[in-house]
Amino acid sequence: MKSRALLDRAAEGGCPHVRLQMSDFSIIGKATAMVDAAEKTTGTGKYTDDLALPGMLVGKILHSPYPHARIKSIDTRRAERLDGVVAVAVGKDAPNPFGILPVGHDEHALALDKVRYVGDNVACVAAVSESIAEQALELIDVDYEVLPSYFDPEESMKAEADLIHENKPHNIEKDYHHVFGDPEKGFAEADQICEARFLANEVTHAAMEPHSTLASFELDPHTGNLGRLTVWSSTQVPYYLQHKLSLVLEMPMSQIRVIKPLVGGGFGGKSEVIPLEIIAAIAARKAKAPVKITYTREEVFWAHRGRPRTIIDLKTGVKNDGRITAVKARVVQDGGAYCSYGVVTILYSGALLGALYDIPNIQYDGYRVLTNKPACGAMRGHGTVNVRFAFESQLDELAQKIGMDPAEIRQRNLLQPPCITVNGLRVQSYGLPECIEKIVERSGWRERKGKLPQGHGLGIACSHYVSGAANSIIRSDMPHSTVNIKIDRDGGVVVYTGASEIGQGSDTMTAQVAAEALGCSLSRVRVVAADTDLTPIDIGSYSSRVTFMAGNATLRAATEVKKLIAAAAAKKMNCAPEEVIFRDDLVCKPGTHASEQAAPAQDPRGLDGRERPSPHGTENSATSVSGRVEGQILRGSLQQKRKEEGPKDAMTFEEAVVAAIDFHGALTGTGSYAPPQQARGGKHKGAGVGPSPAYSYSAQVAEVSVDEETGEVTVHKVWAAHDCGRALNPVAVEGQIIGSVWMGMGQALTEEMIWKDGMLMNPGLLEYRSPASVESPEIEPIIVESIDPEGPFGAKECSEGSLAATIPAIANAIYDAVGIRLHESPFTPERVLAALRAKKNSKPLNLTEGVDPTQPDRFREHGGALWFKGKGPRRHELDPARSEAPAGGAD
Amino acid sequence: MSLPEFKLQRPHSIDEAIEYLAKYAGDVRVIAGGTDLIPSMRQKLFEPKYVLDVRGISELRGVHAQPDGGVMIGASTTLSAVEKSEFLRQNYPVLTEAARTVASPVLRNMGTIGGNICLDTRCLWYNQSLAWRKGCGFCIKKDGDLCHVAPGGTKCWAVFSADTPPALLCLNAEIEIAGPAGTRRVGLAGFYTGLGDNYRKLQANELVTRVFLPKSSAGMRGVYRKLRIRGSIDYPLAGVAIAIRRSNGHIADAQIAMTAVNPSPMLVKGAGEMLVGRAIDETLAESAGDLAARIAKPLTTSALTPEYRREMIRVFTKRALLEAAKN
Repeated sequence: MKSRALLDRAAEGGCPHVRLQMSDFSIIGKATAMVDAAEKTTGTGKYTDDLALPGMLVGKILHSPYPHARIKSIDTRRAERLDGVVAVAVGKDAPNPFGILPVGHDEHALALDKVRYVGDNVACVAAVSESIAEQALELIDVDYEVLPSYFDPEESMKAEADLIHENKPHNIEKDYHHVFGDPEKGFAEADQICEARFLANEVTHAAMEPHSTLASFELDPHTGNLGRLTVWSSTQVPYYLQHKLSLVLEMPMSQIRVIKPLVGGGFGGKSEVIPLEIIAAIAARKAKAPVKITYTREEVFWAHRGRPRTIIDLKTGVKNDGRITAVKARVVQDGGAYCSYGVVTILYSGALLGALYDIPNIQYDGYRVLTNKPACGAMRGHGTVNVRFAFESQLDELAQKIGMDPAEIRQRNLLQPPCITVNGLRVQSYGLPECIEKIVERSGWRERKGKLPQGHGLGIACSHYVSGAANSIIRSDMPHSTVNIKIDRDGGVVVYTGASEIGQGSDTMTAQVAAEALGCSLSRVRVVAADTDLTPIDIGSYSSRVTFMAGNATLRAATEVKKLIAAAAAKKMNCAPEEVIFRDDLVCKPGTHASEQAAPAQDPRGLDGRERPSPHGTENSATSVSGRVEGQILRGSLQQKRKEEGPKDAMTFEEAVVAAIDFHGALTGTGSYAPPQQARGGKHKGAGVGPSPAYSYSAQVAEVSVDEETGEVTVHKVWAAHDCGRALNPVAVEGQIIGSVWMGMGQALTEEMIWKDGMLMNPGLLEYRSPASVESPEIEPIIVESIDPEGPFGAKECSEGSLAATIPAIANAIYDAVGIRLHESPFTPERVLAALRAKKNSKPLNLTEGVDPTQPDRFREHGGALWFKGKGPRRHELDPARSEAPAGGAD
Repeated sequence: MSLPEFKLQRPHSIDEAIEYLAKYAGDVRVIAGGTDLIPSMRQKLFEPKYVLDVRGISELRGVHAQPDGGVMIGASTTLSAVEKSEFLRQNYPVLTEAARTVASPVLRNMGTIGGNICLDTRCLWYNQSLAWRKGCGFCIKKDGDLCHVAPGGTKCWAVFSADTPPALLCLNAEIEIAGPAGTRRVGLAGFYTGLGDNYRKLQANELVTRVFLPKSSAGMRGVYRKLRIRGSIDYPLAGVAIAIRRSNGHIADAQIAMTAVNPSPMLVKGAGEMLVGRAIDETLAESAGDLAARIAKPLTTSALTPEYRREMIRVFTKRALLEAAKN
């Protein structure tokens, strides 16, 4: 599919941008294999769980069996006595609170006095084997006092007593109330208004690699005291981890080294400090030995941090000409037991109502609510996805009401950039118009929409996302990314970046940007990433910030080094430093590079550096040193020396590097990036979240069919156009678009966390159903390049923005196919069938507990699918989980 | 989750296997493909002291056409071998189709027909880790004495969730069971008890060794329809198999069987009487669907609501019959 798209593009002769790339760039814009592809595909690459140290112990965590309980006592003596157990850590071993947000330090690595969800962390055993550690967990006696618990956010908001956190009245983590423009006036001007409730059920990342952490202290050989700590962890944010470890362990950050090995996917689930990362260090400290903890898949579900169940009450008004006059949204998020990224999530849900379309009046009321379930956090498309599902569905409904084509109503509401939206977001590059044009054309929208056979339909939707947050969560003016580059005498380029490769292609992007800027081949560049001892600070891989921010920092670092090389090379070539051209492993004067001449005068193989001479002039140097002495026989070293000393038109990259090192001493450069002040948003409370230096845009058409007897929805094809500014690595961009569509389709059709009284009913990949490859529809990724003025080479986000459009595109296609407007995701067969039955008024069946999925009114305790209608589990008297006193305890 | 410690025995003949079973009776589990047993052992649903690996017993493998026209399938024949057998596809197509829908290709390379017949019944409240079950409270099927699916009841409703047994039931399959006293052959329908916990009639010292399909079932047209959310990996949430024989445009013989909606796979009683002698049309197919749906008793053991799963038994039965009438 990918190669076909590339071929298609080649067959078209390329759009103007593509032609531009071919002539202007030699590295970027070309499909490039990931720099770690060989390691990953051959299995030699090392993920955290592949690592081992001598004397390493296995850590296992005891989790709470209760959704909400006070811990009266913990007795670990029996566990400690078990042969093979080295240490048992509990909350008081490291009582300092932490959390990813400065306003949300509400977590403890191990519970101190309360547990707040089934799966909360209570104790950790470090033992010589996994099975011994598991046996020891059974020997820890915890005495709980069970408290009333809250599972429904709307119920939780009414709570007066037994609060989940004492300092959060009504269990509300945070609420925001924003008014931009004059929404009431806007609704008064509208010709048509739609108002409805939407429910989006809870989903999780389901990254392939479960979280894993290995922590090891150095021991002072004289005193035996613990010294520096090294932590290897599957994280998107090594520097935040270093910071939180420092807080909890009360160690200076300089004494903590965090290394990120290969990471098998994050999607946001590793974008904050996950309890095991700190627990492993606490256990290692107590055991005085390295400890590794790898979560089981069930523990990954408990650690969660996924997309919260969201209630969206949405009201939108339009004029008959399609113009949106006002939007009013009330959003309630079921955030789970801890803050996590929750404050940011609820703010994104409101802020990113803006910056996609031109909406003059917006009212937003957002509530982030605590419940006794695992904490929700950041997940691909953070905060925007569920609201986008509601908005794009409602826009479709309004288009129908005013008799306008759904593609056209979107085109009627485009922004006119550069501009600042009503809620203070600065928009510069804006490829949405082209995205819509492209998918309308490729999908045959105008010819086919509304003309497909019964049961088949087309739906359209748009979405967008930030290219990193303009204001970092740590509220500091320090750069968001810093990159160091060092070049050695043989022309080897090493880039040191704190950016975290998590499978998205961060290291490859870094190498490409450095190679392009320095005019050297990609194979010269080695990327050292995400090791807090070696690499300069970078706030991590989240909110799609790496290409834009770390890319810009890399570009700046490379430009700085390039200036040093240019100064030295200019001296050798008798020209001005700013005239020097760097390209294809050559450093040359203007007018001498092959790419500037009508017909290349030389064998291009000599130019691409593959037969590069060594810097010290051995047998090959004569043929290519000056680029114009091919075939000439040089006699004697004197002649060689004269030649090297005399002015040149061109030098190899190595020669230029050697000249620069001789001239300047060391050849190093640093670049950093902080978003510009103009991009950092308005002044209202909560204005910090939403602003970004640039936004990506996506438009999608989905083609589906609906089986009206079973309610099953099949997605046949998705056309997905994404404006990524410039595609630095087109094959990686296409991969991200395809991945986003596929993940969005999972949330649209099959994925859903099902709860019953605080128990997660499907804590595994068998019952939590991410689509398999057989469900993957044909996906046609279409790259749109708007060339952002501030992005590195014009690039911006490409990994998250496409996800949100997929869900409403499918919902709208279902409507087109069978005329039902689903207001609750995922669109499982039973929900679709229930809606079809309700529409036809035929043979009503209680498929979804009497709730019509086209008009869901309330949040139901057991999750949307309502698998469970019984009274729920009652604990048996002899159930060990119920025991009042510590069992056994025979001392 | 660690695998509990056990001692692995690898017999090379049925007799040797029976000896081991007799010796360790009560504290041994048989493993063939391991696709069902291994995850369950990690979840501490089984912690046997001994595990008997029957893959080394060559007489348990292979699809063997019988001189009388029937077929014998060794119990440890993999599901992919069943799926790919040309003989079975020609003569017993409903089995081929059912085998093809089991889990995913990788799992079918490991899983066996005997394992599929003996598949442990499943329930969302049972197929969970030890920590989960402790948190929720244990149930009748394992360590407890209450049922979360039917609170107040004393019966276990864990659901039988294999794909090939309904096809085998339609084909009047028999299985051979070896034990210390020799072998016995029983009709597959009589192998299941209808209970969720003690779901099969197999003593601890017995082994399912072979599956026999009679000549009389050869050549029956068959269709298997499986309800699942994903097109791969998933266990059935409801499944319908049918096998029919027609003469002169009318049904001469018909069987309908269901899976994943009761604690055992079951033949739909009365289906033959309803269908034989008649030509398949929409109305007849719908009546058969209603009949099957009345017998299905899905509960909240699995994903999707019971009402929906029952409804799908109705739709799938109808569709399977219409499909069989087409080819």
